[in-house]
Amino acid sequence: MEQVVNGILVVNTETIPGKVITEAMGVVSGSTVRAKNVGKDIFAGLKNIVGGELTQYTELLQESRNEAVGRMVADAISIGATAVVNVRFATSAITSGAAELFAYGTAVKYE
Amino acid sequence: MKTTAVNFRFFCIFSILAFLVFSINVAAQSDTGDGRSFPLVVVFLLPFILLALFGIIWAIVYPIMFLWGAVSSSGNVERMHEDANRRKMSLRQRKGREILNTIDGGYRSNASSVGLVHANGVFGPSHWHLMIGFLNNLIGGSVTVFQQVISAGRAEVMQRLRDQAEAEGWDEVINVRIDTANMTPQSSNSKNSVRGVEIFAYGTGIKYE
Repeated sequence: MEQVVNGILVVNTETIPGKVITEAMGVVSGSTVRAKNVGKDIFAGLKNIVGGELTQYTELLQESRNEAVGRMVADAISIGATAVVNVRFATSAITSGAAELFAYGTAVKYE
Repeated sequence: MKTTAVNFRFFCIFSILAFLVFSINVAAQSDTGDGRSFPLVVVFLLPFILLALFGIIWAIVYPIMFLWGAVSSSGNVERMHEDANRRKMSLRQRKGREILNTIDGGYRSNASSVGLVHANGVFGPSHWHLMIGFLNNLIGGSVTVFQQVISAGRAEVMQRLRDQAEAEGWDEVINVRIDTANMTPQSSNSKNSVRGVEIFAYGTGIKYE
């Protein structure tokens, strides 16, 4: 089972296990800022009184991270790469309801 | 996501319009009735009455939820931690070894496919924990309640990463990194915001031939 996003191989190691990198093509990145709707914010606020996992925000960040990775992959496709290595993630919360997710890595060609 | 936001906006505008039409109708009917301006006053006061009702309900519900949190939150956190540890042990027995590694290497040479695996979770202390933490802060030393919440969350997220790797069919996950991000920024109004910590674990899954 090969996890390939739109034909691009995404790993967070410096090399691709079992493959040889032939060309490094520079940094690619993708970012997104997303927010939940007011109803889910209110529900998360109520859940916060009791404590525990805030499922709404877990979902929110999961979706946004997938979107950020998708944009990074689109960036890599646009410069003609076949894989993205050494992927890193950065998260920052702008307000308590919205989060900025940023994914970046090095676009390469491999054999 | 976009459609829900549009729907919500549409709902807001529609409800305001419906309220206006309804109030104008009520005012018109009362004018034809006995000619007094009493319902118009009610119409103007209605938003404030609703706000006061919301405040009253909040004043009843909040202490109940706070007490419920005080009774159950510590137990819930411990249960979550124990549950994560139990699932971790059962997976380790099934696989015969720990499948997560933080080193970039150590894999066998016959890797057939690789890919990114990630898992996350947002965990927050209850308001009871916040109060205990505030009291702990006055004395100093280790703030155990927050440490318990965060380490339970981390154990849960690590276990989610293992489950995810197993479900997607990876034999091993290398170069695992764990990020912890604050969901409560310094810039926001700290009174009304949700207190939470996001724990995010990611790594490279490897499948062997």
